[in-house]
Amino acid sequence: MIIDANVQPHFRYNAEIRRYLSAPHKLRAIPDVELQWYQAPGGDYRADLYGDGYPGSDPETVAHHLFDEGGADYAILNPLSRGNIADYLLNSRICAGVNDWLLDRWLEPDTSNRFRGTIRINPEDVRGAVAEIERLAEHPKMVQVGVPLQSREPYGKPMFEPIWEAAAAHGLPVAVHVNGGNGVDHAPTFAGHAYTYPGYAAFMPLNSFVHLATLIIEGMFGRHPNLRFVFADGGYDILTPLMWRLDTFWMSMRDQTPWVDRFPSEYLPGHVRFCSSALDGPTDTSQAERWMDFTDKADLLMYGSSYPHWSTTEPETVVAGLNEGQREKVLWRNASDLFGISARVEGSLT
Amino acid sequence: MTTVEDVAEKTVAQDIAVTIVDTDVHPLPVSADVLKSYAPAEWKDKLWPTGNAVSPVPHFYDTPDSYKTNSLRVDAGPPGGGVAGSDPDFAAKQLLVDAGVSIAVLEPMCDAQLPQAEHVLKAAHNDWLADVWLGEANWHGRWRGAISVTAQDPTAAAGEIERWAGHPYMAEVLMTPQTRGIPFGSPHFDPMYAAAARHGLPIATHLMGQTPFELIPIYPVGNPAHWHDFFASWPLLYVSHLMSLVFDGAFDRHPDLRVVFVEGGFTWALPAMWRMDRIWEHRKADLPHVRRKPSDYVREHVRFTTQPLEEVNLGEYREYLEMMDLGDNIMFSTDYPHWSYDSPDWAIRRFPADQRERIMRGNATELYGLPATVKALPAELPGAGDVAV
Amino acid sequence: MQRRAVCAVEDLPPGTMKLVQAGKFGVGVYNIAGSLYAIANYCSHEGAPLCLGYTRGTTEYAPEMPDKIRHVREGQIARCPWHQWEFDITTGESLADPKKRVRTYEVDVADGQVYLTA
Repeated sequence: MIIDANVQPHFRYNAEIRRYLSAPHKLRAIPDVELQWYQAPGGDYRADLYGDGYPGSDPETVAHHLFDEGGADYAILNPLSRGNIADYLLNSRICAGVNDWLLDRWLEPDTSNRFRGTIRINPEDVRGAVAEIERLAEHPKMVQVGVPLQSREPYGKPMFEPIWEAAAAHGLPVAVHVNGGNGVDHAPTFAGHAYTYPGYAAFMPLNSFVHLATLIIEGMFGRHPNLRFVFADGGYDILTPLMWRLDTFWMSMRDQTPWVDRFPSEYLPGHVRFCSSALDGPTDTSQAERWMDFTDKADLLMYGSSYPHWSTTEPETVVAGLNEGQREKVLWRNASDLFGISARVEGSLT
Repeated sequence: MTTVEDVAEKTVAQDIAVTIVDTDVHPLPVSADVLKSYAPAEWKDKLWPTGNAVSPVPHFYDTPDSYKTNSLRVDAGPPGGGVAGSDPDFAAKQLLVDAGVSIAVLEPMCDAQLPQAEHVLKAAHNDWLADVWLGEANWHGRWRGAISVTAQDPTAAAGEIERWAGHPYMAEVLMTPQTRGIPFGSPHFDPMYAAAARHGLPIATHLMGQTPFELIPIYPVGNPAHWHDFFASWPLLYVSHLMSLVFDGAFDRHPDLRVVFVEGGFTWALPAMWRMDRIWEHRKADLPHVRRKPSDYVREHVRFTTQPLEEVNLGEYREYLEMMDLGDNIMFSTDYPHWSYDSPDWAIRRFPADQRERIMRGNATELYGLPATVKALPAELPGAGDVAV
Repeated sequence: MQRRAVCAVEDLPPGTMKLVQAGKFGVGVYNIAGSLYAIANYCSHEGAPLCLGYTRGTTEYAPEMPDKIRHVREGQIARCPWHQWEFDITTGESLADPKKRVRTYEVDVADGQVYLTA
């Protein structure tokens, strides 16, 4: 079995979202998805997917690529919203509009029951985010809550706690993913803005570590045993050296944060998952099997294609060099456990 | 028992082999007045305000017990008084004699808000370092120094490099990594890089920025509340600069440039190299000036100091270092006299056996052009007696 | 190992420590509120002179407090002078990871003298 834990479906055209917005918001200015400042030269998406409609916008085409050609059995759809735009209330309506569109266009019509969805929320509007989770958490096809990677404060900070509490109460992991659009964000690298697309693309997912570190050190995972985070852009190879640091410095810093009652790395198995990406893993696949055991990453990683992004990866590329047990976990078992998706029995729907 | 007076004894008879090079040590002036004496008259009051305007006590992150320790080793205070790291002879006792370091590279830390002020402040530090630590206190020739330069004015920095190039004990150039939004690969730094490369001086970088407001590093997804997760994330600043150096072509513009990332550890370099190599394979058209695999640039141009070493399972750690295969690029450091000091005795056992010599001595010797022997301090000679507790 | 006299009891009042030249690195003998303990002057991390660091209390998680911290065990914790690892003087165990410990020694009082067996 293969579960594709990271697919970004798209609107057919930018204005389509307005069908799902109510009157006060329908005529507001909303950024186009493709106005993201750090767009890939030549387009963000796979070259062969342009032409007949926007890449990733037709459910039949997407299903054909993922399931028939790609060999996946299920796909977790995590749509982009439009970035951290300044008007946080409008942004929450945009997220709700995206969620209604996802249900309307992708999830409800999917009689083969292979798509699963993400409840997009805006962390800058805590009340609105909690309300949106409450609105859609019981829908059987919504399997996670989605937030942008970009944020002006790391997600371990207390202002976000009501949101994570609501997600955990409903058993929904929180998926963090780079978000399109123009937002009010800090520069994407620690050294300022990147001057090249590769300088941005290679670095950006590594920012997930700061979210992760604060979720541990602020005690968010400690207070919410059921809270899980998925870092859906990859960037997990840096986990080994930086968690080593977090563990090492805990010996010195324990007394400032005594609610952290174990080595920080001990929080990973119960609380953290990553999706794969094209930029992860040893460049020498003969090291892949051993590398996957560092920091027990085989238990943390889920295959995600990133379809329709230019960096779309196939399952076999991601698991190249891994042993049987690691392959199984990465290709489906970790996602199956996390999202409660059972193996398909031939001819029936689960 | 070895005393400070023994170390200060000026008679030296014998050379010993260099076995341990320490690439990160922090000297401090005995007082601000000492530094002031090296600054031009018109700058004294600006850099060291008195009266109603006093220099702020900087602190935005709290290292363990920092109110009492000032982030220093509690046992490193000179017996004659003064703050740890301010007495060259006591530092020689603790570091060179007790810890067994053969040669140490001294890196003062300072910064100022505005470019001209920072240039003057760094120049004063250079004059002080050359006069005291590399001058009268270097009768044994075992201290090396860094030429501190301002990253805010690369042309002035180039001038300062020219001023000190050729000094027998100045071994490198030192700049802050908190470069106010300009990554290391930017052509903005070219005058500085050109001067350093021309003189065979590596550019070292080390956390500074404890004073001016603009230098508080604002992380891309916001800042952790505690030093703990802040500093665990800190290598991502070096990752950002490293990616810029490669992708923005600094090593292509300056083929003789070497860069040293100090006090950021080094194990993060492995995933960073993989990521750079992978994106380059996918997006070569976006990087027409990057003519080689990114990791090749790292192996040729970049060095990392070891401290702070991670406290993790030894077998797994050594396996990681073997996998990383960066034994030519790592240089041992203690960070004396700071609290997060790594002892050479402890550190050496962490490394795979076939990397130890390069890490503890060989790589730094090659990078800085260091000798194979140095003068022994009296306490290091046979018959000098045991060091008591 | 030998039992050696350290000092007169009144020369080691509560809240004080005496560093004894015993063993390879020395031993710190502590009087904590009238009870005597001894730990090696050698941190099990990188070999720092443990007893030259500060003797402190520590903190525990207190969710009812505004800053969620309560200060406890004043005078019972040896903080390594280098990396500030916390060691419980009464047991020799690190507070963060009890598996990391420093060596402890027997201390007894006889005829008004403190004796250390090290």
